[in-house]
Amino acid sequence: MIARSLKWSRHNLFAKPFDILLSLTVIPGVLWLIWQIAGWALTVAQWDIIPQSLRVLMIGIFPVDQVWRTWVAAMIIAALLGAALGCVFAFRGRHAGGLLLVVAVALILTGTNDLANILLVAALVVLFGLSWALISRVPAVRKGLVPASFVGLIAIFAVMAPPGAGLWGGLLLSILLTLVTAVVTLPIGILLAFGRRSRFSSVRWICTAYIEVMRSVPLIMVVYWIWILMPVLTPQLNLADVVRGMIGFTLFYSAYVAEYVRSGLQAVPRGQTEAARSLGMSEFDINRSIVLPQALRVVVPPLVGNVLDIFNTAPLVFIIGLTDFLRAGQMILANPQYGDRTYEVYSFLFLTYFLVGSLITFVARKLEKHLARGSR
Amino acid sequence: MTVQTQANVAGNMADDDLPARRRRNRIRHNATQSAIVAAAIVLVVLFAFAVKEGLARHGIRFSFSFLWDAAGFDISEGKTVALKDGVWPALLNFTSDHLIAQAFVTGIFNTIKVAVLAILLSTVLGMLLGVGRLSTNWVVRNLSFWCVEFVRNTPLLIQLVFWYFAVVLHFPPIAAAAKFYGVVISQQGLYFPVPTWQGGDSLLAVGAATALWVAILGVLFDRHGTVRWICAGAVLLLGGMMFATGIVGLDVPVASKFQARGGTSMSPEMAALLLAIVVNSASYIAEIVRGAIDALPKGQWEAAASLGLTRRDTVNDIILPQVFRVVLPSFGNQYISLTKNTALGIAIGYPELFNIYGTIANQTGHSLEGIVIVMASYLILSWAISAAVGWADRRMTRHGASR
Repeated sequence: MIARSLKWSRHNLFAKPFDILLSLTVIPGVLWLIWQIAGWALTVAQWDIIPQSLRVLMIGIFPVDQVWRTWVAAMIIAALLGAALGCVFAFRGRHAGGLLLVVAVALILTGTNDLANILLVAALVVLFGLSWALISRVPAVRKGLVPASFVGLIAIFAVMAPPGAGLWGGLLLSILLTLVTAVVTLPIGILLAFGRRSRFSSVRWICTAYIEVMRSVPLIMVVYWIWILMPVLTPQLNLADVVRGMIGFTLFYSAYVAEYVRSGLQAVPRGQTEAARSLGMSEFDINRSIVLPQALRVVVPPLVGNVLDIFNTAPLVFIIGLTDFLRAGQMILANPQYGDRTYEVYSFLFLTYFLVGSLITFVARKLEKHLARGSR
Repeated sequence: MTVQTQANVAGNMADDDLPARRRRNRIRHNATQSAIVAAAIVLVVLFAFAVKEGLARHGIRFSFSFLWDAAGFDISEGKTVALKDGVWPALLNFTSDHLIAQAFVTGIFNTIKVAVLAILLSTVLGMLLGVGRLSTNWVVRNLSFWCVEFVRNTPLLIQLVFWYFAVVLHFPPIAAAAKFYGVVISQQGLYFPVPTWQGGDSLLAVGAATALWVAILGVLFDRHGTVRWICAGAVLLLGGMMFATGIVGLDVPVASKFQARGGTSMSPEMAALLLAIVVNSASYIAEIVRGAIDALPKGQWEAAASLGLTRRDTVNDIILPQVFRVVLPSFGNQYISLTKNTALGIAIGYPELFNIYGTIANQTGHSLEGIVIVMASYLILSWAISAAVGWADRRMTRHGASR
């Protein structure tokens, strides 16, 4: 054992003089850093602020007596995400164990001891697992997934809207914004991508100009711009800030989705189109049944990465006065009573963002391998 | 029988009318084309009209004349183009009696300042991290990997506010500032030593400075190996000589109880923005570099190993030169997105273009006209970067091995 670890460290840490130097400087530094952080987290940090302010972090300033609405929305989101996962990964027995572990860790980390909340979180995860299992075991259900996701999003809006869309906030707002943007940008992006290679130079020109302009201006500017422009354009409509934010995000990310889809379209060999044309298929049918399915298959991993981008830029809605996850954390810190808990709150925010982000990245990488295996 | 005749007739007609059909198709194509153009124009006009109406309802007239009004607000840092003593255009500090147009210039100046510094620093850091991910040293490899993963999987905005509120604002106050080889680090900002001109206008000093510039230009633009080395040597020699003889001195900042004097300073906002963007962008660049190295054929490594090259020589002489050629376009995209990310400076109060636009929109109510200017500025910046990267790419690929 000792001999093996010595051999391992000779190979991996002390192989050359330069490696020895690096190891000798980096390892103590890293250890010291870990020691400092662990010491702070275990002794100095006052973690009680996290369970105390968990509601604000999760749903912002949504009224307490209406919280059931957010739970319903969370259930729908869990079911949709489970279904999406089920389309690509088969549900196995060990996944169930993993989900139970997630529940346990989440409950311990947040330190909830309210029985109702524990049951609700458990229900969320069970729903997620069930819809994952259902979709992966019964492929026939998949056909209804796209309409189901639209219906689900509309249902979320219907449930969450009554207390006022201005009250949406916290992590739920970030996730909703991400979901809506990811779902709505896809058809628009596909249309733009096809428009960019249209037979009509005017369509090509317009789509290219739109994509290029959107890609060279900052998202925060687009969101702010749409926010001030909507009331000027449609004074009678009086759209909520959340909806205006979603429109801004959608307009911006459509251009990115279009570029991903276009790269997928370029990856489809010309022979496919030519063969379909020689069979006498119409251009529309060729694009819909031959080109698009193959193109989308290639761009699924980058599109999942794009979802991560959307989620990571969701905090920018602070510019139009919305209270998303990050802003909710800052709101808690603005309370003078909690002024000295900066590091605790930021650690929690960072950790949550990192967990969600890593999960999405992990899925994207798995998908890439999965699809590469299929095409071989 | 009848069917056959009909088919024949149809076939004959098709043959006879081929040019006619082509002409018809062309006309139809052109008609659709014009219809689309007309529809687009109508849409734009309707849009403009609706905006104008909406603004009129709020009692605002769409015009750019507000640009020539006095600003009436101050900007904490940044230069603008103004007439010095009413004669020469020069870079001056912005004050509230300058014009609003000059406030926009200040914003663009600050954006470019951060963007250029961040591009330089993040490229260096990103290359280091990217190569670190392929190190033979287990600790370095994993450390680079996790740093990159962590930064890429969390939002830039939270990194930015963390750098600002949890790091930079927790630096020691200036009275107890940390000093580090002449660099002063404090809550009030960072102060760096700068070289200053002490040679007056003596002919020898000016001659030496001119020679130094020529040598630097030679290093940057000469393509021939030997001349470049001679120029680099000359730069070192002349620089050292000028320091030694005191033609160029070093202005070291000195911290007193309330402020620091001398050197050049960097505001805490700029420091935080720069830190956040450099670290974030470096992670993406590291990922680009790693991807490019992974994409190289394995045979390159094996051939180098079979020639007896060490791993360091392989990386330096075989791998990195090829990687440079491949990654430049991706670097360009990253530089553009970095420049766009500077707009987040508004979250911590750094006066970059978007922040100053916000102030102007608040003060004057001309938010839509301002957006046009901001949008045009970002477009021009993006195009400038992609043009520069394209130039560098062409320069690099023109000589040397083809891809």
